[in-house]
Formats: sequence, structure tokens, C-alpha cells
Amino acid sequence: MPHLDLNNRQLVFKIVYFGPGMSGKTTNLLFIHKKIFDKYKGDMVILDTEEERTLFFDFFPVSLGTVQGFSLKIHLYTIPGQVFYEASRRIILEGADGVVFVADSCIERFDDNVDMYRRMTTNLGSYGVDPTSFPIVLQYNKRDYDEVIPLGQLEAILELPDDLPVTESIATSGKGVMRTLQLISKEVIRNFQLDGSA
Amino acid sequence: MNESVVTGSNGASINETLARLVEKTEALTALLISRHGICLGQAGGGARLNATALAALVAGMFSATKEVANIVGEEQFSILLQQGKKRHIHISLIGEKSMMVIVFEEYSRIGRVRLEAKKCSSTLVRLVNQDRKDQEQAIQDISIPDFKEYALNLIDRIFVIGEEEDASP
Repeated sequence: MPHLDLNNRQLVFKIVYFGPGMSGKTTNLLFIHKKIFDKYKGDMVILDTEEERTLFFDFFPVSLGTVQGFSLKIHLYTIPGQVFYEASRRIILEGADGVVFVADSCIERFDDNVDMYRRMTTNLGSYGVDPTSFPIVLQYNKRDYDEVIPLGQLEAILELPDDLPVTESIATSGKGVMRTLQLISKEVIRNFQLDGSA
Repeated sequence: MNESVVTGSNGASINETLARLVEKTEALTALLISRHGICLGQAGGGARLNATALAALVAGMFSATKEVANIVGEEQFSILLQQGKKRHIHISLIGEKSMMVIVFEEYSRIGRVRLEAKKCSSTLVRLVNQDRKDQEQAIQDISIPDFKEYALNLIDRIFVIGEEEDASP
């Protein structure tokens, strides 16, 4: 559920960009940060290594405006995709209201995508979250490769629900990035509504 | 990003408690942060700090430290101390779901900081727990259909899908 802060009269939703290493999670966030008008966004925090791989997380807040007297905010996070940062990923996923799974469309990364998706559902489960009723958008990123994983293949092997929102993107150019953000944000809002007593 | 502070429920009490602590310790600022990285209260000269980013980072740091504690056979480290050249940070757990961050300059005041942090801890735990009850009530008072409509409109207006959608692969 979102964090309701009566002190500051704000309602904060947390969206996490999850996926294997180098799939484009930070690139998504960087594009979003560039695209959104200054008055709506806070500074971006990037914790990376010397090789510009995400070390802990990237983060920035978006302030959407006021709804029923509450300032509505979305905090966007990425996780470190490298396999050995499992503990960091679990920490960042705690309290998430929705996830964008950024898959690498490169055919050679198929197994990495599957492995990381399964890690994600395991982590969500450890917090008592049922991944089948949790807001998730599957983003097939890097669609500019010559040979890409066909849409539907990840969903099939992972046995994902038919109504799971799926997008295609090229995060380096921004294609599909804002559409993905819109989708997950709306999924999160709708889920909150359905889960109104949460 | 503007973050207007409107006093509500126990907000004033949390901020007042933090303000008294700042006064007694002569700290620069004190913040109460949720385990999920949300700033719940603030006192002192914190306006010059990016409280939103600080809250996210400190929460992450504290969670990471919990994992470290588990590895060495501890359940949790209840206090973290970061010593800098000019400024230092004292972080302490407040109950199970919050933490208090105190930023101070003179390191010789560390004893005072630790003492006052410990003294106001139980008060803050009580206020946070009361806040949680008030929040459950406040959530009930939100009109969900109206909330949905406004929020979805805001998303369409601010997360604009632009010309990059036409970029060819």
C-alpha cells in the first residue's frame, strides 16, 4: 500500500524498475527525469560503480499534484541488476506498489530475463505479496537489436497472466519509456482503488 | 520540487519533539524517516538539505546494515554513526518501522546527541503508532472513485508521451 503521511499531507507510491543487469533500468529513469518538467520532479540520486553499473539504487521523486487534500507523489527506484546484489534488490523491493520489469530483448539474454523475473517474484513473495495480483508491467527494452526475443516468449515460459501489460521500448531514444511509466502508474492507482481499505 | 508542510494529526507533536531535541543537542537538523524512505517529520535547519533524497538513502543504508547485522549474527544494529570532517550523522531506530536522523557539527557533542536521542525515542514511538491509527482512519475518508479519476488525469498530464514514440528502431 502507498505511504500516507498525515504530517505532510502526502500519499506516496513506490514504483521499482526491476530486471537483469544492463537491461536499461537506469536509462529508463534518466529519460523520465529529463522528460518531466522541473516543477514536478526532485533531484535524481544515482549510486553507481566506477563502471557506471548501479551499485545500490537510482531514485527520484515525482510530485503529481494535490488530490483530495493530499499531495500525490510517486517515488521511482531502480535495482542493481547484477546477480550478486540480491540483498540490495530485496531491500529496495520492500514496500513497492508496482514494478516495471525491464527485459533485455537480446536473444542471448533470454535466460537472464527469466532468472531475474523469478527472483523478483520470490522477493515479492517474501514480503507477502502475490505477484499475480500485483501491478507489474513487462517492458521489452532494446527493440533496436537485429534479432530480438519475440513478444510473448517470456510471458509463455514464465506463465504470466494474459492481461499482464506489455510494452516495447528503446530506452536510449526514449521510445516506449513514458508509455511504460503511464501504464504502471495507472496500474498502481487502479490497484490502490481496488484495495481501497489497505 | 516544492514540499509544503501542513500540520496534521500528530505531525506537530513529532516536529515539536524533534525541535526540542535539536535545541538541546544544538544539532543542525533532526528528521524522522520511515523504513520505506519517507520523511515523516523534520526540525532545525533541514530546509537546506534534500530531505526526500536523504530519507531514501538513509532508509536504504539502514536496511543494508540490517543485512550486515544478520551476516555477523546480530538481529539489528540499533544505532549508526557516520563521522565526517565537519558534520556527523547519528541514526537510531525508532520502534520497528522508523528511524531518527540527527545531523550535528561538533563531534564532542556525541554524548549529548546519544542521550537526547534515547530520551525522546519512546515519545516518538508513541506518536508514530498514534499516527498510524490516524492514517488508517484518513485512508477510509478518501473517496476512492474521485481519487482514481483525479490521479489518472494527473498521470496523463504529467507523464506525457511525446514525439520519441515515433522514433524508428
